[in-house]
Amino acid sequence: MRAWIVALGITAVLLAAFVLVAVTRQKAHALDQVNGPTTQPAYALDQNDCLHCHGALELTTRASSGAEVSLYVNKEGLDASAHRYVDCVSCHTTKPHDVPTPLSKLSLAARCGTCHQYEYKLHLQSVHGQQLLQGNEDVATCVDCHSPQVNPHSIVRVLESNAPAYKQNISQTCGRCHNNEPLMARYGILEKVYESYMRSFHGKAMKLSPTANITQLNKATCTNCHGTHDIKDPTDPTSPVAGVENLARTCEQCHPGAGVQFASSFLGHKEATPENFPMVHYAERFFALLTASVVALGVSLVLVETGKWAFNRRPKEE
Amino acid sequence: MAVTAKVQSRAAPQEQEENVVRFDIHQRLQHILMMSSFIVLAATGLPLKFSESGISQWWISFWGGIESTRFAHRIAAFVMVGDCVYHVLYLAYTTAILKRPFPFQMLPSPQDVQNLYQDLRYYLGLSRTQAQYGRFNYREKFDYWAIFWGMPIMAGSGFILMYPVLVSEFLPNWAIPVALVAHSDEAVLAVSWIFIVHIFFAHLAPGVFPMNKSIFTGKVPRHRYMEEHPLELAQTSAPAKEPEMPEQVPRPALPQATDPNVVPTDAKGQSAL
Repeated sequence: MRAWIVALGITAVLLAAFVLVAVTRQKAHALDQVNGPTTQPAYALDQNDCLHCHGALELTTRASSGAEVSLYVNKEGLDASAHRYVDCVSCHTTKPHDVPTPLSKLSLAARCGTCHQYEYKLHLQSVHGQQLLQGNEDVATCVDCHSPQVNPHSIVRVLESNAPAYKQNISQTCGRCHNNEPLMARYGILEKVYESYMRSFHGKAMKLSPTANITQLNKATCTNCHGTHDIKDPTDPTSPVAGVENLARTCEQCHPGAGVQFASSFLGHKEATPENFPMVHYAERFFALLTASVVALGVSLVLVETGKWAFNRRPKEE
Repeated sequence: MAVTAKVQSRAAPQEQEENVVRFDIHQRLQHILMMSSFIVLAATGLPLKFSESGISQWWISFWGGIESTRFAHRIAAFVMVGDCVYHVLYLAYTTAILKRPFPFQMLPSPQDVQNLYQDLRYYLGLSRTQAQYGRFNYREKFDYWAIFWGMPIMAGSGFILMYPVLVSEFLPNWAIPVALVAHSDEAVLAVSWIFIVHIFFAHLAPGVFPMNKSIFTGKVPRHRYMEEHPLELAQTSAPAKEPEMPEQVPRPALPQATDPNVVPTDAKGQSAL
């Protein structure tokens, strides 16, 4: 009896210690998230006091098309922005009220490109930029990937953990469009790329590293294979994933010695079907059936035995 | 004085109860190695299968990230494979060199299906008698052979996933994705079987609760052995058990060991209470 109590006591102490450590770790992590690397509040540079008017939520104007356009600038977003010390007039010209409103996605990208020239050039060569030049506003441009609010006033630096382009967030950021089935169907992209990435070891490793710092995030995400600003259509021969030779060279960046054989084992972001990797498809079927039937057999044995035991213990009449 | 009194009082319910040796030290060690490596493998592998859930992410972070758990997973895998090699060598040594009889009782036989059928009838109230087992009943055999079929699958697919670039040189391209499917599904099968069915039969089942310690101590009280493996006891009428067991005492005569109507129903019913 005493041994049981001692064992229980030790287990309880271990459990308590475990919970304590877990809670403190969680708390410390939460504090890190809130405070971030800087604890001093920062304020956006606003030399001309633009926010006096533009900080009001209800400030709007009418575009030539008649649509209502908000002229509101979120001060909190701006304070946290990478560009908080770049004054409004740097982007909005010294005569901001003469600039035609609203900007198009392309003119917005061009505005970023006045400073970020190299990235802008690559972007225009990418599958997104090429569509943008043709006036397609569906595609991603600078703000779509660099601002959590898709707003040029709240660009977040790539190395900050809340940035949409922070390594851990990239798959979700791409997924904002590429996990949108109707939108993707319009471009003939039927693969569920986000889900297939999350099923892969790359996606799982990323998902399971919520507290990892950037040096520990050496796991592949969308951009590691497809490129960043110069992202190409996978069928474009200049894409790093076009054809199995290009794909093998891309794999090799992380998997030394990976060749065509290795690259050709990739399912191509597709489900295994009788046509695409039939062996994988039938293996999935086989193991699902095996697991279900064996576990069902075991569980039913447990259930009938428990049932019999309960039945034997039922209150007897006499 | 107090200590001896305690020991006596603890031993009182099983007064003059002698033990039957069921497992030798190697078998017990093999089980402990299998058990501990299995727990580590499950604890470090399952979060990968269920990577979307918050508790998996918390669990992996708790152990210092995916690199730590991957390392632990591989160490445990080597322990488990080593344990299986140990088992096969042990089997070869005891049969070929020590000339012990080959354990044919472990092979599946039509009797197992019959026993399962009989037990199901008993559990469902269609029959008053439970099946009587020899040295290994069908559940124990299933547990054993499940490892026999599971180990090549898990170790093989695990090796492919561990060295994908190496194996891609001489295996077809579907080998890696098939290995991933096999490893993750077979793992779920093994974990659910062990934590639902095996744990139930070894610990929670009526008559066994709270725990069947025989795989750790190697010994089973005689009355329990009588209930659980009556046919084996009946066969070994001259029980020349391992003489190295110090607590062996002269055995009393077998009390109606093979009467199917008395032993299972009454004994089970009582111990269930």
